[in-house]
Amino acid sequence: MGLLQGATELFPVSSLGHAVLIPSLLHWSFKQSDPSFVPFLVLLHLGTASALLFIYRAQWVDIISGFFTAAVRGRIDKPSERLAMLLLVGTIPAGILGVFLEHELKSLFASPVAAASFLTANGFMMLGFEVLRRRAEKRVAVTAMTRVEQEESFAVAEQISFKAAALVGACQALALLPGISRSGVTIGGGLMAGLRHQEAARFSFLLATPIIAAAGVLEIPQLIASDVPLAEYLAAAVLSGTAAYLSARFLLRYFRSGRLDPYGWYCVGAGIISLALLTFRP
Amino acid sequence: MKRNNTLSVALVVLALVFFVVAGLYAVGVLQFMVSDPSVSHHYTHAILFVVLAVASLIGANFARSKGPA
Repeated sequence: MGLLQGATELFPVSSLGHAVLIPSLLHWSFKQSDPSFVPFLVLLHLGTASALLFIYRAQWVDIISGFFTAAVRGRIDKPSERLAMLLLVGTIPAGILGVFLEHELKSLFASPVAAASFLTANGFMMLGFEVLRRRAEKRVAVTAMTRVEQEESFAVAEQISFKAAALVGACQALALLPGISRSGVTIGGGLMAGLRHQEAARFSFLLATPIIAAAGVLEIPQLIASDVPLAEYLAAAVLSGTAAYLSARFLLRYFRSGRLDPYGWYCVGAGIISLALLTFRP
Repeated sequence: MKRNNTLSVALVVLALVFFVVAGLYAVGVLQFMVSDPSVSHHYTHAILFVVLAVASLIGANFARSKGPA
């Protein structure tokens, strides 16, 4: 589960969807209603957040210092200050929707069939984002020859508007539905805002870090209070962090010229196969 | 953001409202849209409203006229 969570949290394939589907399909004795599940998930999320913080450690130092400088000065002078404010604006809609709707949405849609359906929908969304992106590429990059050159004609994260950052942030709330990928919808939202694929992934990972870390930190009291095998859970968190680190490294390299299509097709296939297995299995 | 003192004042007022709402969630007076009404303190909601209050104050500082440069 640690490896699965770490890898799927950042790949645009929905970690929550996989966490609901795989134990159900493989008949693991692992239940989300189990009192030990939340502390377990908390540690896995903290592992993922630690990996993201490590990858972007230098940027986070600039972002945090830029945040305080711009907030006190009341003016944005540097790209890191603008990025800090974009992340604040992007985090607020997800925070509001997450705090008020998380419980209702999860209790409504936490069934494996719903997760498989949303995973299929997630796949079609990824493919839809790329269809729209290809149209945008035809409009702006007619003279570009290679994929890398095409990508370079789009923006970096620091250049997007605050309205676009808020919309990308609001997209994160869709990930409360099991099967919809947080990184998928935010990377897709970034593409719609005119970002390069790699920059959309970077903005998505930066945007995810405070939310994932805060969700984990807020559950720590429950973790301390619960009677769980902490050593095993910590080992799973280390695995989750390692998988997240390797996933992020891979994705940032992949998105220099790669697209969301393979992940879209994977989600469509995995969703449909899961639906069939859940419907027809004995 | 255009410099606008009226907007700045409005954002400060909004920040104060958010701080009050955060306090009400923290002490358990407010039970609006909470996942478990049997729990008296809703710290997650309180933290959210503190963040919103801080964001409003930052917005107010951005909107405030700074005078001639």
